[in-house]
Amino acid sequence: MSGHDSKYFSTTKKGEIPELKEELNSQYKDKRKDAVKKVIAAMTVGKDVSSLFTDVVNCMQTENLELKKLVYLYLINYAKSQPDLAILAVNTFVKDSQDPNPLIRALAVRTMGCIRVDKITEYLCDPLQRCLKDDDPYVRKTAAICVAKLYDINAELVEDRGFLEALKDLISDNNPMVVANAVAALAEIQESSVRPIFEITSHTLTKLLTALNECTEWGQVFILDSLSRYKATDARDAENIVERVTPRLQHANCAVVLSAVKIILLQMELITSTDVVRNLCKKMAPPLVTLLSAEPEIQYVALRNINLIVQKRPTILAHEIKVFFCKYNDPIYVKMEKLEIMIKLASDRNIDQVLLEFKEYATEVDVDFVRKAVRAIGRCAIKLDRAAERCISVLLELIKIKVNYVVQEAIIVIKDIFRRYPNTYESIIATLCESLDNLDEPEAKASMIWIIGEYAERIDNADELLESFLETFPEEPALVQLQLLTATVKLFLKKPTEGPQQMIQAVLNNATVETDNPDLRDRAYIYWRLLSTDPEAAKDVVLAEKPVISDDSNQLDPSLLDELLANISTLSSVYHKPPEAFVSRVKAAPRADDEEFADAGETGYSESPSQGVDGSSPSSSAGTSSHVPAKQPAAAAPAAPAPIPDLLGDLMGLDNALVPVDEPTATSGPPLPVVLPSTTGQGLQISAQLVRRDGQIFYDISFENGTQGVLDGFMIQFNKNTFGLAAGGPLQVPPLQPGDSSRTLLPMVFSQNVSTGAPNSLLQVAVKNNQQPVWYFNDKGSLHVFFGEDGKMERTSFLEAWKSLPDDNEFSKEFPNSVINSIDATIEHLSASNVFFIAKRRNANMDVLYLSAKIPRGIPFLIELTAAVGVPGAKCAVKTPNREYVPLFFEAMEPLIK
Amino acid sequence: MGIVFTRLFSSVFGNREARILVLGLDNAGKTTILYRLQMGEVVSTIPTIGFNVETVQYNNIKFQVWDLGGQTSIRPYWRCYFPNTQAIIYVVDSSDTDRLVTAKEEFHSILEEDELKGAVVLVYANKQDLPGALDDAAITESLELHKIKSRQWAIFKTSAIKGEGLFEGLDWLSNALKSGSS
Repeated sequence: MSGHDSKYFSTTKKGEIPELKEELNSQYKDKRKDAVKKVIAAMTVGKDVSSLFTDVVNCMQTENLELKKLVYLYLINYAKSQPDLAILAVNTFVKDSQDPNPLIRALAVRTMGCIRVDKITEYLCDPLQRCLKDDDPYVRKTAAICVAKLYDINAELVEDRGFLEALKDLISDNNPMVVANAVAALAEIQESSVRPIFEITSHTLTKLLTALNECTEWGQVFILDSLSRYKATDARDAENIVERVTPRLQHANCAVVLSAVKIILLQMELITSTDVVRNLCKKMAPPLVTLLSAEPEIQYVALRNINLIVQKRPTILAHEIKVFFCKYNDPIYVKMEKLEIMIKLASDRNIDQVLLEFKEYATEVDVDFVRKAVRAIGRCAIKLDRAAERCISVLLELIKIKVNYVVQEAIIVIKDIFRRYPNTYESIIATLCESLDNLDEPEAKASMIWIIGEYAERIDNADELLESFLETFPEEPALVQLQLLTATVKLFLKKPTEGPQQMIQAVLNNATVETDNPDLRDRAYIYWRLLSTDPEAAKDVVLAEKPVISDDSNQLDPSLLDELLANISTLSSVYHKPPEAFVSRVKAAPRADDEEFADAGETGYSESPSQGVDGSSPSSSAGTSSHVPAKQPAAAAPAAPAPIPDLLGDLMGLDNALVPVDEPTATSGPPLPVVLPSTTGQGLQISAQLVRRDGQIFYDISFENGTQGVLDGFMIQFNKNTFGLAAGGPLQVPPLQPGDSSRTLLPMVFSQNVSTGAPNSLLQVAVKNNQQPVWYFNDKGSLHVFFGEDGKMERTSFLEAWKSLPDDNEFSKEFPNSVINSIDATIEHLSASNVFFIAKRRNANMDVLYLSAKIPRGIPFLIELTAAVGVPGAKCAVKTPNREYVPLFFEAMEPLIK
Repeated sequence: MGIVFTRLFSSVFGNREARILVLGLDNAGKTTILYRLQMGEVVSTIPTIGFNVETVQYNNIKFQVWDLGGQTSIRPYWRCYFPNTQAIIYVVDSSDTDRLVTAKEEFHSILEEDELKGAVVLVYANKQDLPGALDDAAITESLELHKIKSRQWAIFKTSAIKGEGLFEGLDWLSNALKSGSS
């Protein structure tokens, strides 16, 4: 794009940002203002103009309110992306918060609250403090909200500076708007805090009730919502509150109305006088009805809330069912909610009207709505027994119109009606059977099959009907299969003739051998057992009398209902879920508890060996597992493939009863070599070995207490050694009961305590405990634990290194007992021990492998391994700049190549 | 480019504008000086976290005076204000002898800035009203002012509280600016 073509892509030479920068620094106020406007315009369309931060902030100190507002807007947007530079704005905030113009003071304090930069919050406390005590109520009310914002950023600061007390003082402010905002701020702070911060006393109650009448609609909502948390002391108190709140029901704002309804409903619980309650119910109906003339979205919210109210106090809207009749142009979500409420309000008195409505709905075009209408008829039948007959006749009429989904839905609800009113309406079964062929939905099918099975004795051709379903048994959904199984069993028990007997054989076979569904198989086996052992018992079980069902009508659990009612006009009452179910309040969870829990968990683990697993010998591996570092590569497993019998033995053995399968600790090789026999240790036996796990060296050490007393207070110390190995932490061994053992992984570190002299693998260890003298023992650490993960070399660098080392640095040794059976397996095995494969070649009948390894302090080993596959004996040649390590190296390599 | 135009215009109309930075360590008296110059009275101040900007009309020159906070945490942001600056007023607390070394270091690091190459330097040896305050000669010594070669500079003994020396400094400054630009 370089060259002359680029001119087509830019209109100016400098580009937009430098141009804006220049204009922002102009000496002319108008030009600066225009520039800031341009910046804001760019910001709103999503261009990043954060690089102009200082230039814009420099325009902040101006008499021009318009310009100031624009700069503030910019600050709110970009302070987060320029947290360091945001400090430059602080002084202007401080100045503006003292401006003679209250609008500017309020603007400053409002903007301050929106700048969520931790570094500058501290500087903003003084201005905020001043503004909370400002003479102008507009400033005070803005400052009140700012406290809540600040609390969200830094709760501690707010409490230290006494802002909470200042807010509480504002509740007694003479300006109702200030009161409302103080209440809103306190309520919000309370929500994010676990401690009680905002409690309404009888004193504040009067203040709030007085302010209620005078503040704006949203202020009223804040006050009402806070009042709903107030627990009235007695009926008189409650009546008093209700009396003051009732006028709010006439408010045009739906939120105010719903909040008022919430308080009245809550306080009604306390009011004993039935007259008062009846009166209140009468007063609440019209405002609720009015809500339904708003936009559909608001209607929906109102309906969800009314749904709850109706469940608690059906009397309120008992006479208003007509307002819930669906209009043809209602959105579907409103219609569905209205249906729900109609069912709840349906009574003997209005059922005729309601049924007419439902019947009308059932002929509409929207399938979901039609289905719900049909279901509604069924639910009314179940709910109102005197209206059941009328409901059923409506259902039968609907079946006659032969609309497929209407019929299917009708069958589903009729099944429930049969269960609700046994032996009453079975005469209609014949009509139902006519539609048998049209059923294609699982639930309808299952319902029909249930009816056939349940009334098999009254349906002459029940076996034929069932048989027609059985043909497709394997393809049916699980729901239908289960019903078919049960219905067939019922049929067989009722008509134990030849036809049903064959059917039952086929079904049971299908449901046991042919199916993969465990539910179906289990049920089939139960029936099978029952039928084969005691057919009479089977009859008692399968044909037992069923409990009569009642109308659930989506009723909520009473305690949940009360909780939801306390949250009317929030999302909670729309979702019909308690707030905890969908709002996570991260801040409310105290962090300290988690840590305590973690600590407790850890001590619990490390103590477990002494408590024992099942009363017998306690597990040593349980103690080990708690000290293994969290991340454990599964890849460590091939390090030393343990023979399977060993593993089994370990798993079976009591000592390792708790070994997880992927736990390499106990299975990573042969048992630990004994370094301090119990004869020397006066009963204490110590076994130990250096191991490498996940790039770190551990001392895998195990203690066995063969003494008569408890041993505790184990400590360990390492003498100077070639590599300067030392314990990387305290030895964590629980007190050992007599007979107990404990195994742990002690992390090792490289210290400066390096012994001089020829390198050796000797590790001198001292162990002491509180009961015995200090034990000294020698351990030989194999060099291969020191092979680092960084030992891999590139081919070229290997070649170079090989060439650069003089030939007298090359040593070789025969490993007469080593057999290589597979080159690949050997390479893999070696690389697990950090001996990395570089190249291989064939020489005559021998395979030559080139490998590299590295030990601490960057000492490399360049290895040439020569062997014939399957033939014992391998030749290992090595080149290294530090020849004194060679004996150790061979010592380490030999066991690796076996 | 803009500045060239500005100067052209101002020489035509006889009214000049100058952008001036007031710098110095915290608690040197920068904000007090600014408002003493602007309003002629002493205002009570708190540490400036950020900046103040005011216009001071003096000797037919409109000074746009930027008073920048002097706290250690804010000093790194001084450089944001360097471009297009004609003069620096460096304020020193003459009684704060302990921090004169710091004041010197900050001063010389400012002078090294490319963007301030053409700026005239006026030093206020402030707080002369306090006992133990060093005089202008001592301050010149401690700030190593004689090392300045390539620009105009001057030092004045001032007391912002009493209002002494400030306008003498401005007189010098306006002359220096006039001679420098014409």
